[in-house]
Amino acid sequence: MSVQPLISAVQDASSALELVRATAALAASGSAAAAPTLVEVLGFNNPGAAVAAVDGLIAIGSPAVDHLLQLDPRNYGARAWAVRALAGIGDVRGLDLLVEALLTDVGPSVRRAAAKGLGALALDALASGERNTVQQHALTALLEATSDGEWVVRYAVAVGLEGLALGSRWPTGHSSHSSSCTALCRLSDAATEEATVVRLRAALALQRLQP
Amino acid sequence: MAGEPINEAEALGRLRQSEDPSMQYYGAWWLGRNRSQHPDAVPLLIEALKQRRPRDPGAGVEENAVARNAARALGKLAPAAHAAVPELLDALADPDDGLREAAARALGDLRAREAVAPICTRLAGGPAVAGARQTSCPRLVEPCEALLEALGEIGVATPEVLAVIEPFSSHEWPLIRSAAARALLQLSGEARWAEPLLALLGDGQLHVRRAALMDLGAAGWRPAAEAISATLAENSLKLIALRGLVENGSGEPGEDALLAAMDALL
Repeated sequence: MSVQPLISAVQDASSALELVRATAALAASGSAAAAPTLVEVLGFNNPGAAVAAVDGLIAIGSPAVDHLLQLDPRNYGARAWAVRALAGIGDVRGLDLLVEALLTDVGPSVRRAAAKGLGALALDALASGERNTVQQHALTALLEATSDGEWVVRYAVAVGLEGLALGSRWPTGHSSHSSSCTALCRLSDAATEEATVVRLRAALALQRLQP
Repeated sequence: MAGEPINEAEALGRLRQSEDPSMQYYGAWWLGRNRSQHPDAVPLLIEALKQRRPRDPGAGVEENAVARNAARALGKLAPAAHAAVPELLDALADPDDGLREAAARALGDLRAREAVAPICTRLAGGPAVAGARQTSCPRLVEPCEALLEALGEIGVATPEVLAVIEPFSSHEWPLIRSAAARALLQLSGEARWAEPLLALLGDGQLHVRRAALMDLGAAGWRPAAEAISATLAENSLKLIALRGLVENGSGEPGEDALLAAMDALL
């Protein structure tokens, strides 16, 4: 079935609820042709529709990335949703935007998504030189964000560091492995981390990195 | 709340002066928000809490706005702010219900057992008196939600306290029912008080679902984990609720399962 009628339904939606339903239907198509319209929905200031659009964009995956990166940086609301979509897709073309979001975005929920996304980048298909550059860039950003003022972001940083280290398969003793573990140690220590749940999550990550 | 970023010395200075209440208001907020450990913070906030007067609608920033913010900040400085308990108990009897609300929350944060009797007295009339709507505005006679939550936080689980709270579990407002169920769940640990909270997670109103999320988290009711993850609300709030299950609860599901549920919401 062509996606065009589904796209038209989104464009013609006359109420907030109708927009949510039409977006969910378009997202469920899983068709790459839906991507531009789903990206457009991110800017409509309708959280229900944006959640559905993010799900759809993540399902489309890499073919959606260029559309997401073309969003106007001044459209803050849409960019915040785009960060979530890029974090879920894991395509390395989203790296710069994820790093920028983690280190500078004013919304904790955006920084949180970016931190998780930096730990879930698809690294395996990359040539080793590029893979190394991407890993270092992501690691540097995550290490810097361990001092974020919001517990939920530090929690996501622990998850991100775990994901990045496991996905990178750094051998024990590799400097990136050591710096990840040092950062997780700090996040698991009551002297430096006030939130119990962050300490527990960081300790779990350490356990997984140092079996 | 706008303005240049300030530091602790500046916040203390703003609270210490008395020319400009809006500066004091911001200074009090800053000290609480940043969990100030400075030895002058609690004494200055107690002074600010004493600084109240009957409402004067023509007076710009109300004097009581400073006192309310001071009460809130003292709660955030728990347990160091225990010296403020007598003054907060005084504020709990103030004619301004907004100040009573802030004082009740702070007394709950401070786990002030001295507050249990006066809070029970304020709630003693039940939903028809303490929980009745004021004639002049859409608020209740007493700040019931804050008073009920404080009883749950303080944790004195005598039959008398439970008997004061229980009638509010059938209050006409869902947020009051939620606060009552939360307190009863915290104090008694009985699963039957989780039922109304789980039902409110499916309420048609987002603000009710949000309140039930916060209340289940505060009570640390771990059997609610799956229902929390599935609630139609922002992930930010579900994460706060699940954090509450990890930190305030015990039993099943265990920590690893709860952390995995949180990971899935990031």
